Amino acid sequence: MSPEYYVLITGYIFGFYMAWNIGANDVANSMASAVGAKALTIRQAVFVAGILNIVGATFIGSHVTNTIRKGIVSTSILTDPRLALIGALSALLAAALWVSFATWKSLPVSTTHSIVGSMIGFGIMAGGFSVINWGKLAAVIISWIISPLISMVISYVMFKCIVKFILARRDPYLRAINLSKYFIGITVFIIILSFLFKTPLGKRLAMETHEALILAVIIATGLGLLGQLAIKKFFSSKKRKADTEEIFKVIQIGTSCYVALAQGANDVANAIGPLAVIYFLVKKGTVGATVPVPIFLLLFGGVGISLGIGMAGHRVMKTLGTKITTLNNTRGFSVDFAAATTVMIASKLGLPVSTTHAAVGGVLGVGFARGMEAVNFKIIFQIIVYWILTVPAAAFTSMIIFLILKHVI
Amino acid sequence: MRIPFLSIFIASPFEGLQEHAEKVKECAWTFQQAIECHIEKKCESFSKFVKEISMLESEADAIKRRIRGHLPKGTMLPVDKFQLFRYLREQDSILDAVEDAVDWISYRPEPGIPAEVAEDFILLADQAVAPIEELNIMVTEARNYFKSFSKKQRLIVKEIIHNIRQMEHDADTTEDMVKQKVFTSITDPIMVFHLIRLSETIGSIADHAENAGDMMRAMIAE
Repeated sequence: MSPEYYVLITGYIFGFYMAWNIGANDVANSMASAVGAKALTIRQAVFVAGILNIVGATFIGSHVTNTIRKGIVSTSILTDPRLALIGALSALLAAALWVSFATWKSLPVSTTHSIVGSMIGFGIMAGGFSVINWGKLAAVIISWIISPLISMVISYVMFKCIVKFILARRDPYLRAINLSKYFIGITVFIIILSFLFKTPLGKRLAMETHEALILAVIIATGLGLLGQLAIKKFFSSKKRKADTEEIFKVIQIGTSCYVALAQGANDVANAIGPLAVIYFLVKKGTVGATVPVPIFLLLFGGVGISLGIGMAGHRVMKTLGTKITTLNNTRGFSVDFAAATTVMIASKLGLPVSTTHAAVGGVLGVGFARGMEAVNFKIIFQIIVYWILTVPAAAFTSMIIFLILKHVI
Repeated sequence: MRIPFLSIFIASPFEGLQEHAEKVKECAWTFQQAIECHIEKKCESFSKFVKEISMLESEADAIKRRIRGHLPKGTMLPVDKFQLFRYLREQDSILDAVEDAVDWISYRPEPGIPAEVAEDFILLADQAVAPIEELNIMVTEARNYFKSFSKKQRLIVKEIIHNIRQMEHDADTTEDMVKQKVFTSITDPIMVFHLIRLSETIGSIADHAENAGDMMRAMIAE
């Protein structure tokens, strides 16, 4: 076996480790509000998040993977296969190291930022500062600033709407049942659209934009009405008096699935972006600019994430179950919806945003709408500090590993 | 392991507020018992009640400090942070007033309250304590309002505040009556001073409950 294969195996191992870490650390983002608001039990949440992360990663994920690989760092560094191989491996190692360190020290670090930082480090070592596409990097950094803000606005608006049209009304319970079709419909609409645009599945269907929109509207309307019927039936069969929150509890199961899906789609790239580079270098000898990420790599990443969720998710959920006691279902729904929509949009634009930040933005949005009993705004500054630290730290680590590996291999 | 997403959630001050209201209620009940015991003569457990009230007061104090100390800058609440603190201060003042009242009673050798006005003081104590039980319900209902923002719920809270105001008014009337009676039926100047001051202290218990209600009214203002 040639040394390249050892590199590939190492790549698989560390790619898997990264995916595992994403699952273990970030599962809270998708399921925190659902478990906190008691829409799902811990066991259910772990199971659902695991499955949907795989689905999201495999069917919606490929677009982001491409961007991390060839967007920020120019493909010119990939012309020397040996350097590219070492670089991709060191990027992966550096990100894995940094994420492990952060987990050990309990730092609020984003896996997304770690991998972007280490890719930059590799780019600089392999081709100097000129290979970094600064414009693209700036766009990514701006997306990091904007994504929590967008999420905040969405959840603010969503919660205000819920208050205005349902909670503050005379009979909120009836209003909630009547309006549930819209809440379900909007959620379905966005999920369908993200499936149809720029995913392997959507490409096979080869639909025009307006066709896709029409199809999404039809499916969303259908499912919205069906969902409403199901909710009506579900609550009329129960004898006891249900309240508004109960209805949102049902809808929230759907939205937390939506977050898990979006998370899989968005975060899988962090783990398998560099792995895809290694894979092509070893199998084909070169990396073309337009090679799509093979679906089995996405699946591999998705499985890694869901294993992380399965193994560490329980512990995380337990902590959050005791910590988030004041969140109820209408709030949880707003947070989930905002976070998932933001991540989905960013993922479609090819911007690697952090799901954690989107979720934090969502909570703050509801907080601004005065919907939370207590939310600590200051955490956002702490996140910013580590966010600024992560990129250079991961880049620097990546550079050092690159130097070492260059002598070894 | 600390999860960044979770550090955004902090303990709700409303939980503390409710705990504090609970302590105030317990304290008020103990006060009622203490007064009755004191008036019944041969009261052996009065000092026990005083001790219990002072213990409840210090427990409530700890809750108050916990609430104040655990709302960092940049905390978002359904209400203004300082409105909450002002409310808490009024609710806490009830405890101080209760403690003042039992302390004041204990300064004088028995019998502190003569038989002529005993009935009236029991009535006054009952009326001063009545709004405090409402206060406890008010906190629960207000919390429900902040959860649902429903107009109906808001009316419930307003209704309670209205009741508290009415009860305070009743206690005020009784206080006036008690004072009049003290001045007409008691001749010993030390006794008069002691009883007048005592009726004022007991009356202030209801005053603080009313103030707390008014603060709550400000918090639920649209």
